[in-house]
Amino acid sequence: MGGLDELLRRHHIIICAGSGGVGKTTTAASIALRGALAGRRTVVLTIDPAKRLANALGMRTVGGSGSVVTGDDLQPGMLTAMMLDQKGAWDELVERHAPSAEVRDRILNNHFYQHLSQSFAGSYEYVAIEQLCELHASGAYDLIVVDTPPTRHALDFLEAPQRLADFLDRRVVKWFVRPYFSAGWATLRFVNRTVGFLFRRLEEATGISALVEVSDFFTSMSGLFEAFAPRVRRVYELLRSSDTCFVLVAAPEEQVLTEAEYFCRKVRELDIPLRTVVFNRTHRELTAGRQGVAADEVTRLMMRLLGEETLATKLAENFSHYEMIGRGDGLRMESFRRILPKGVATIEVPNFNSDVHSLADLRAMHPFLFAA
Amino acid sequence: MKPLLEKLFQRRLLFVAGKGGVGKTTTACALALIASQLGKRTLLTEVDGAGRAAYLLGVEPAPIGLPRRAGPLLSVMSVEGGAALAEYLEIILPVKRVLQAVFASRIYKYFVAAAPGLKELLTIGKIWYEAERLEESGGQRLWDLVIVDAPATGHSLQYLRMPHAAHQAFGGGLVGRESKRIVDLLVDPRVTAVNLVTTAEEMPVNETLEMYEQIRDELHMPLGILFLNRMHYATFEAKQVDNLERKLAKLHDARERAIATEVMNRGREEAGWTAINHRYSQRLASEVRMPRIEVPFVFAEEFGLKEVHAVVAAIVRDSAGSTRRGAVHGRA
Repeated sequence: MGGLDELLRRHHIIICAGSGGVGKTTTAASIALRGALAGRRTVVLTIDPAKRLANALGMRTVGGSGSVVTGDDLQPGMLTAMMLDQKGAWDELVERHAPSAEVRDRILNNHFYQHLSQSFAGSYEYVAIEQLCELHASGAYDLIVVDTPPTRHALDFLEAPQRLADFLDRRVVKWFVRPYFSAGWATLRFVNRTVGFLFRRLEEATGISALVEVSDFFTSMSGLFEAFAPRVRRVYELLRSSDTCFVLVAAPEEQVLTEAEYFCRKVRELDIPLRTVVFNRTHRELTAGRQGVAADEVTRLMMRLLGEETLATKLAENFSHYEMIGRGDGLRMESFRRILPKGVATIEVPNFNSDVHSLADLRAMHPFLFAA
Repeated sequence: MKPLLEKLFQRRLLFVAGKGGVGKTTTACALALIASQLGKRTLLTEVDGAGRAAYLLGVEPAPIGLPRRAGPLLSVMSVEGGAALAEYLEIILPVKRVLQAVFASRIYKYFVAAAPGLKELLTIGKIWYEAERLEESGGQRLWDLVIVDAPATGHSLQYLRMPHAAHQAFGGGLVGRESKRIVDLLVDPRVTAVNLVTTAEEMPVNETLEMYEQIRDELHMPLGILFLNRMHYATFEAKQVDNLERKLAKLHDARERAIATEVMNRGREEAGWTAINHRYSQRLASEVRMPRIEVPFVFAEEFGLKEVHAVVAAIVRDSAGSTRRGAVHGRA
């Protein structure tokens, strides 16, 4: 046992981060399956996986309550999959935090809220983290694996809750919105001349009625999130604790690695425990580090085996194409390894020639993810 | 000739959208190169990116909000909501000293970073501004064509939805009216087209189908071309590769066997992806009513300007209706 098995034993929470399109969802599901097979009560919090993967995980319907995954030597009840609903993320936040039914309805019926709630950034990430905290507190699981939302930047997942907390900070709302609407111009001029000027222009520009609605929205929201800032602080404490570790999922592509490099730097600043980098969908040269295999040697060998020139040539040509990718992947991964902080392990999972859509497929990743 | 592309380039504002990691930036760069070669003064804008488009075109990225020349008729620009707000405020608040105080204030920074939808609205606003922008001498438009390398699916939809939302929320005020002008432009089939990029495999195709429906039925935006990127076209059958397996046993030389095994595995990989691509390409054909262009997988050590040119060649070839397909070499 080694590699990720060590992480599974030591940590209760494994967070799979990475930019979009690198295979976070399948990696998270595969890690969770390993945990469950090792006899730990495991839950994977996932986001909109491919339909057939969702089916394999027993998630035929969308819902936050979770479905028990069966099959493939799994002991009953060992693996639960939960899917977050991106569309209803804000409504869920409001429902969860509203101090009374009246405040809840006031917000849900707010004109401004209704039009904008689908476009709010950051809420989805916050709901994911909130769910994580609840699962952790419930004590119902030995292992929680989190698949982070498909943002372009891996860091959004970490920064969104703080941004949201900043925005809903009572003090900010108090300075920025409330005085203007509750006490009028005189107060505002004392509070902040600059903001006063800005608001006069904004009022002229937008028309007062809209701003009243906006003000009402923020005032209700800030009341709603009374306990928001301390909650976010606790979230970050949990993310930094020894219970938690981060796995960065990356692909050996230049764009993805540039992003991953930034993530690694930022993770150190934020004091987040990054333990492992998984390179997904990799290719390797057959003779890495040495002189490549000469094309005509391959063609001759294929001729000898197949006795057919056209096919031999085609297969040899295909081989050389993949050697070319393998060479690039290898070089990029090597240079990425050099910038990684000490103590961060790297794992390579090769490119499979099929989609991952069953528990057996998830298991096929195990020899690579959990190689000693 | 290339009727499909020429029709597309008659519009002025082209979005290139799709799931993360499917090759949106590459496709947007290729379209921008083709358009500029056809004589269109083209601006390629990258939303919230790290200057990747500029690098792919072989130039250093310019500061956010400023164009960088990347060819005779081609410029590339990064767009970001915060910078766009600063630019907008400079237009409506012409007093420098006040502006500096606004920008320096903590509240302003909080507000721009976190205000729901503000960043998205301003980003689209900036793109709209560039699409409508006139030359300093007046009269003519500065750009014939603005191509937008959009963020990943979920985020693209957030951006594209914002003007609708703002228009409905703010009604008759200035913000409402400006938003309405943006919406009018976005839904006008003579001006705008949303192009979708996907790879032909399960997850990206699911997202593409979802996005297709939302753009058509919810945002009512005109659709352009569907790009199937990174298509594999194996020149041999999977079962031909399987024949190799039995013959491996005859090889006694370890090196030869290692090579032959690898040739077999890579052959299976290529045949496997070809089958998957074929299956999902058919699914797209039955569910998406958009003209499509297929772009073969580019085998290369590194993906740079040469490889973008390989994609350009593939797009031009396929849009002209040629059926010639096969592996593409970035290094050729």
